[in-house]
Order: sequence, then C-alpha cells, then structure tokens
Amino acid sequence: MIFDSYEAYRASDFKPKVCILGSGPAGTTIARKLGAAGIPVVVLEAGSREFSDESQEFYRGTTVGDPYFDLDITRLRFMGGSSNHWAGWCRVLDKQDFEPKTWAPDTGWPISRADIEPFLPEVHDILELPDFRPDVPISDDIRWVQLIKSPAVRFGEKFADELDKSKNIALVLNTYATELAGDGKKVTGARLWSNGKDAGAFSADYFIVCTGGLENSRLLLWSNQRSNGGVVPNATALGRYWMEHPTFEGGNAILADYSEFEVDAVNEAFFSPTLAAMERLQIMNFGIRLIETPYAGVKSLIADLACTAPDAAEWVAYQLSQNLRCAAQLYVAWEQAPLASNQIELSKTDVDHAGVPRIELHWKKLPLERRTILEGLKLFGTTLIEKDLGRVRIMDWLANGQDYPTDEELAGHHHMGGTRMGTDVTKSVVDANCKVHGMDNLYVGGSSVFCTSGECNPTTTITALACRLGDHLSKVVGV
Amino acid sequence: MSFFIKKISRRAIMQALIAMPALQLFRKLPDSDRPDADPDEIVVVNGWVLKRSDLA
Repeated sequence: MIFDSYEAYRASDFKPKVCILGSGPAGTTIARKLGAAGIPVVVLEAGSREFSDESQEFYRGTTVGDPYFDLDITRLRFMGGSSNHWAGWCRVLDKQDFEPKTWAPDTGWPISRADIEPFLPEVHDILELPDFRPDVPISDDIRWVQLIKSPAVRFGEKFADELDKSKNIALVLNTYATELAGDGKKVTGARLWSNGKDAGAFSADYFIVCTGGLENSRLLLWSNQRSNGGVVPNATALGRYWMEHPTFEGGNAILADYSEFEVDAVNEAFFSPTLAAMERLQIMNFGIRLIETPYAGVKSLIADLACTAPDAAEWVAYQLSQNLRCAAQLYVAWEQAPLASNQIELSKTDVDHAGVPRIELHWKKLPLERRTILEGLKLFGTTLIEKDLGRVRIMDWLANGQDYPTDEELAGHHHMGGTRMGTDVTKSVVDANCKVHGMDNLYVGGSSVFCTSGECNPTTTITALACRLGDHLSKVVGV
Repeated sequence: MSFFIKKISRRAIMQALIAMPALQLFRKLPDSDRPDADPDEIVVVNGWVLKRSDLA
C-alpha cells in the first residue's frame, strides 16, 4: 500500500510491527524482506513521489573544513531516496576492506565480507547485475578490478507497484519523523511532521533508521538530545568517523595497446592496490579509473613518442595547439582513513521548517590519503612499465605538493559512517547486527554503519547489508 | 615557432622529431651521466613515471 499522506494512512487500520524511516535502497530493501516474511511494516518517507525544492530545503546544511557539495544537492529527499541520482556503479567492498589495517587507526569491521556474501544473489536481482568477475592481478601491487555500470535502479520507480500491492507494507509519503523518543533501553515512539505541521506521536515495536548517510546521524543526534541520551545511550561515536570517496583527476597515461584492458561502454577500466602493496607502503585502498581516449593518425604518433620522450611529445602537442599529452585520463578515488573529528554535528543556530537543527558537517582529508594517491599512481606507473604496457604521468598539483583542485568532482556523493558498526561502544554506534548499542528495538540501515569506506561505490554493499539486516529482523521480529 | 610549425605537416614534424638527436634538449635527465645508473630504475621526471632507459 502507498499512502500519499499521513492523514490517509491514519484512516487505514494498518497495524505495523516495524517502522522504517526512509525509502531509499536500505529502507526499501529491508521493507521488502520483512513484508515477504509476513511482518507488517510501515515505511515513513519524508518526501513525496517526485523531487521538489520544498522537500530538498529540509536538507540544507553547512560544511566546515575541506570544500564539499551543498548538503541539499548531494542527496535526494523523495521516494527512492538518493537512488534517484545514483550513477549505477556497482562493486562490493573488498575482503580486506573489512579487516583492520594496523597502520590506520579505527579500521576493521566486526563482520567479514563472508557475512554478506550469502546475500549477493539477492543484491544482483535487486540491482539487475550480471555476475562479477574475479579481480585480475596485473602485478604484485596492482589489481585490475571490475565496477559494473548497472541500470542504476531507482528504488521508488522499480518497486512502486510491488509496494502498492503489498498487504504487509505500508509506504507513507510526505511524513517526516523529526525525532525518536527513548528510555535508554527502547525507542518508545517517533514524533511526526506532516502537511506542514506536527502530526503527533507514532509507535511501533521496532524502529529502523534508514534516512541516509548524513541524515541518520542528524536524526539520532537530535533524538538523543531531546531524550537526554535515551535513544543512543552510548553516543561517544555518534555522528563521528564520517567518510566520503574524494575523487580527482590524478594523472594521465599512454598505453601501448589499447586492447590490453577490456573497457566498459564508456571506455573505462579500474585498478586498485593489492593487500601486499597497501601493507608494504602503509596506504589506504584506492581506485584508479582509467578513461581511454585513443588517438588515430598523427595524434597517435605523438602519444607513442610520449612513451619514450614525454617532454618532446608535450612540446609538440603544445606547438600544435592540441591537448595530446596523453591517451588516457586517470581519476583517483580513495578510502579515507576513519577520523573521529570528521563528524556530523547539529547546528546551534539553524533549524529546518519542523524545528530540527540542520547539519554542520566537519570534514577534512588527511596527509595519509594524499600519500595514498601519490604512491598509488606511482605503483600503477611502475606496473605499466614492468609489464611494458605504457607510461603514467602524475598531475602537477599532486606531484608538486600543491593544494587539491577545487574545480573538479571533489567526491562521490557517498556518505558513510556516523553510526558505524563495532564492538567498542566508545567507537561505534551499532553492533554487528546493526542494532544500536544498548537499545532493544532500534536498528540502523545504510552506509552510515560503514566502519571503513573501501574504494568503491557503496550502493551494492548498502543493499547487501540491508538484505542481511532484513533477514536478521525477520527472525527477531517473527510473525 | 608556432608559425613555422603550422606551415609544415604534422607527420613531417613527428618524423623529424623522432629522428632528431636534439630531442635531448627538451628533456630533463636526472643523473643521466651516472655511469652506474640502472636502466630499469624507476624515476619520476616532470610527473612522468619512467624507467631510466626511457631517457637514454
């Protein structure tokens, strides 16, 4: 069932056991799992069926530190959530992303990749993916990895009919849960905002917060403040260890043979370090996105010359007024080192229309990350030399220690951490089952539970974790 | 120089450049006169990740 307003929902006699906040990839996936298990579940979506400026306005916020996107454009507040602007890139976090890195504090998950692998067949169905091929080591240091450009499922569109016909799922649009109330052991209810005004309290046996990698922290921080610590009793890490995938053009490459690496439909291939390389150099995971732009004719000659005489080739290209320094661009995205001070805070001065403090995001990149991409591009360049595949040039800003460019992508719109998973209650918010520490009936879904970010786009892992949480809740909640 | 370049074909320019030992003039060679230099050593020159023999 889909209700376009809370008022319409209230007129029904639907009695949910579980309340999910948010209808993005995590919320929708968990709802479908619970609905399939015969468990009545209500999904409260703050937005409507379509994008609106009025809804997005609730997402405004500020950023302190490194340049970042406006917080009301880096995510979407309507049915299907941020899947509505997802580019569709798919890959699951690497096995080593779940393991602690001894050289990077606060890394490692309480679960392993094997814990989510049983759910990957479901993920492939949901995201309409072919099977992943295994990584291909091209040297001791570099793996040729696969990111699948999927059809970019819009969860709202894809599952609207299914949700509408479901007897066990009620999706309620235009209904904003402004805060949860709790007594330190259980969530006792939610406060709702609908149709421009307070809509009273809402209760259910279980609450699952799936409002996104920024909003999950905001809701829980505000709820905890209002409940005097009754919603997240162990709140030291709440909002902290927030992560992104910074993304910049880091270099160029000349390839001797452009058929060496099979590229996808948009001429891209991806490379990451081996665990041995990360351990030896004490760097984080990274992804190099090679975008081929092969030349023909004399341009190809210049590119060939650049393999052995780069300065000369560059000089010729300049004289010919051609940007022919390379035949491929290398974009780098990387795993951020988890840092407690990269955090979501509540604004002390600015609130949204419902009176909820807006986000103040504190975010900075670390010197370790800078070293990661510099060493990473050197590793990739060395690998191309060793295998006689081509040559790499590192961009001036990176090679010469200049500031990060401010006119590029900046990051991936991937919001991770803030309610991270763990066993240490001072450094995590949820346990291995995504249950908030100390609370009997409060769970968190989505990338805010990520302990580390890996280098790949998060939606595949988000969906796998949601399948796992849905499976777990089906057993916990029962019929 | 730009005027001269535009008056001749690109292929001619390339052929001349490839043949010209004067290419050295456009290169910055780190320790190029070191007699014990390993030709397979990885060096970074103007951001390029190269092996030393690329510069020979």
